[in-house]
Amino acid sequence: MWRLSSVRHKAVPQGRSLEEFKLMRREHEKVLRSARKDNLLVSKRLLLCEDEDETPMDAASGDQVVHLVQKLQQSGQEKETHLKALSGSLRNPSAQTVFIKHENSMHLLVGLLSGSQAQWRLLALQCLHELSQSHQPNVTLACVPATPYLLTYLSGQSTKLTELCLYTLGNLCPGSDVVRDKLLAQGIIPALKNCMESQRSSLAVVEAVGFTLSQLLQAKDAAEKITPAVLASGLPSLLRSVLSPDPQFGLAPAIECAWCLHYLTCSTVGSSALRADGTLSRCSSLLVALGGAVSKGTKEEGMELLVWPLLRSVGNLLSSGPPGAMGSQGGDLLPALCALARAFLPSHPALARESAWVLNNLTADSSELCTALLDLNLVPELIQLLPFSQGINTMLLRVLGNVAHQTKRSCSQLARAGLVPALCATLRMSEPDVVALSLEVLFMLVAGCPQAAEEFVGQNGVALLEAVQYNGDGEIRQRAAHLLEHQLPAPPTTTYQHTSCSTTYPRSTSWSTTYPRSTPPGAPPTSTPPGAPPTPPAHLLEHHLPPQHTSWSTTYPPSTPPGAPPTSTPPVAPPTPPAHLL
Amino acid sequence: MSVSNMGGFGGKDTPFRFTPQRIHLGKDHELFEDGDIHRHMYLQNLSSSETDEQPKHSVSEFGCHISGCCQRFRSVEEYEHHYNSLHRHVCSACRRSFPSARLLDVHIEEWHDAMFDILSQSQDMYQCLVEGCGLKFRTSKQRKDHLIQIHKYPPDFRFDKTKREHRKEQKPQTRQPAGGAEVMEGVCEAVLPAADPEQHPEEEEEEEDMETVELQAPSGSGEQGPPSGGTPQPDAETVGDGQRPRYSYRVPATVCFGKGSVRGFRGRGRRK
Repeated sequence: MWRLSSVRHKAVPQGRSLEEFKLMRREHEKVLRSARKDNLLVSKRLLLCEDEDETPMDAASGDQVVHLVQKLQQSGQEKETHLKALSGSLRNPSAQTVFIKHENSMHLLVGLLSGSQAQWRLLALQCLHELSQSHQPNVTLACVPATPYLLTYLSGQSTKLTELCLYTLGNLCPGSDVVRDKLLAQGIIPALKNCMESQRSSLAVVEAVGFTLSQLLQAKDAAEKITPAVLASGLPSLLRSVLSPDPQFGLAPAIECAWCLHYLTCSTVGSSALRADGTLSRCSSLLVALGGAVSKGTKEEGMELLVWPLLRSVGNLLSSGPPGAMGSQGGDLLPALCALARAFLPSHPALARESAWVLNNLTADSSELCTALLDLNLVPELIQLLPFSQGINTMLLRVLGNVAHQTKRSCSQLARAGLVPALCATLRMSEPDVVALSLEVLFMLVAGCPQAAEEFVGQNGVALLEAVQYNGDGEIRQRAAHLLEHQLPAPPTTTYQHTSCSTTYPRSTSWSTTYPRSTPPGAPPTSTPPGAPPTPPAHLLEHHLPPQHTSWSTTYPPSTPPGAPPTSTPPVAPPTPPAHLL
Repeated sequence: MSVSNMGGFGGKDTPFRFTPQRIHLGKDHELFEDGDIHRHMYLQNLSSSETDEQPKHSVSEFGCHISGCCQRFRSVEEYEHHYNSLHRHVCSACRRSFPSARLLDVHIEEWHDAMFDILSQSQDMYQCLVEGCGLKFRTSKQRKDHLIQIHKYPPDFRFDKTKREHRKEQKPQTRQPAGGAEVMEGVCEAVLPAADPEQHPEEEEEEEDMETVELQAPSGSGEQGPPSGGTPQPDAETVGDGQRPRYSYRVPATVCFGKGSVRGFRGRGRRK
């Protein structure tokens, strides 16, 4: 059996080397990604009995199948042998097709499934289970006559049978609307609920129920057809009760139930129902516990499979409804989310991104949580994650923006935590979203905290923004220009990169006849800024910068750095125009 | 969405629009892709151990903001070096960039200042390019000779070049790899991307003839033409602000500053 008491990855399928396995996995991942883009992401699970292995049978079993069916149709004593052989043969896709095309073959199987012989029932079920692995719609449809019996056995007493029924049903659900509609009509949801309730002590069964339910809830139309029924059935509270992992059995049941909750909370109807009944609180506590565990260094294999759906549930539950739904729990969740983001960043950056998303939803409407983020000194941690792309830095900039949006005190705390140098870096990044958000955050920061403005200018921020003014994106240019014009103090003229002069330039009176000195390329040849990129930023020169060049008419001597040997020109030589101002 | 205590952020008179916003993500949202794939890989018994795999996170690259310059960098230092080398000291008239503010000053003075042209007829105006030397010369050729003889510059060093000469001598020079475009030696400069005088020989001609102006440019003989100081002639495309070189370009041969490096830089700039 493939229980997740330890994650399966360690079991390399027989007959393959590790490298082959990795290659196969990578190829398979590509297939899955493409399937997801088409909304066709379907997985099926194969439950193996103890004495079986996974290796598929030979291809030449079409005839064998027919032969076995014929044998089974005769009354005889060797049904068990034949059934076992049949289930082995049916692992083969072409054999499956042959089987369903053979007249009365399914009828035979259903007869055995519903018969009085327990062993034959189980073996017939195994054959059906093999058939349920097929991705061919006609094979899936052919299994429909068996479903009422499968559902009936869910409330039976044999856990082995129940488990096998559940996985068979779970495999049949996705990929066919007809099958799903039939199952819904036949009462699969109440059956699942009853099964979980009555077999609560068998975690294997609980895991299987979770799997089957998740397969149902993944359907495209689940929000309309399936979610309301699930909510009405009382399943959510059962799912919640399973969320804490059992130390013996492992994470698997919790994983399945958490994914069910995720699919439920994705829809608005699911989200609003679950917000009210304690799901948010339960998922948050679990995340807090998991965050605590990772920050202590205990990171179980497969833990991300549980963290992921919990993050998504909390994120979506927070995304609407009255703000402040977290209450005091939010303060515990903030450091947990930071810990999870940091811990999973190398292996699963998308998980770090989703943690940042939840942080955004927590802080967007809550001044208490913004204050808590500052007071718990989590901002430096978030700043450390700003270099990372794939949506991580954009989401974190939103979080920081949420905080900066609060009060002046928040802004100064952010500045003290080191946000200004961080923004100087993010402003140089190549993604336009990152730059745009950085400008927004910078605006709020400097508007709320003059010291931050000074610090920014002291770190060559003016030159940086001047460069940003030549960005290809109009909105970015606009924002940079606004900051330079209205928000930032003039840079002190003493701050040269390479000289240490302390004099200021006299302004040239003949400025208008000289050419503006330096413009980065890309400037259109016109002298008036039409709103399109860059023209010489004349306003900068007027407000902030000493002139970079004066004409000979003022007999301005050539620039010499201070300390250089005197030239033949008048001794009072102004220093080289500050490079950073250009 | 609740409004914060500091109303007035992103007000109507600013271009800033950020407001805190809670975000809902649907089941099929692309942000959820990686997690879904991971889940399904697990369902299909294809999970991998963390220890087997390489780290998957990626770091944002830095990118030059200047519109049209597509360079990317892995660190702020690289970005700064690029920016300082190529976009900092740029003449807006002819869009040449220079490695230092001083050389840009010299260029502007010698090429785009009418007074210089007048004064240079009667005074020594071409200053030595070596900082601290302070000597000045009547012609650019004299300066060049000075640089070669006194300051030991190699005779084939890339001095400035006049337009005409420039075109003629360009061909031999263009094949230079100029890998050092970004690390300029001496006083080479680079032209920013999209400038390619070879492609626009006609335009160059036109520019030469154009005279704008506040001051009469001396049409003249000898060394009065475009100074061969810091830069080659402005590039083929239109020069900014309607300010075009006003000199005639009948000047004796000098060699060009950094034309080869221009080629090299352009190639780099366009490389993706």
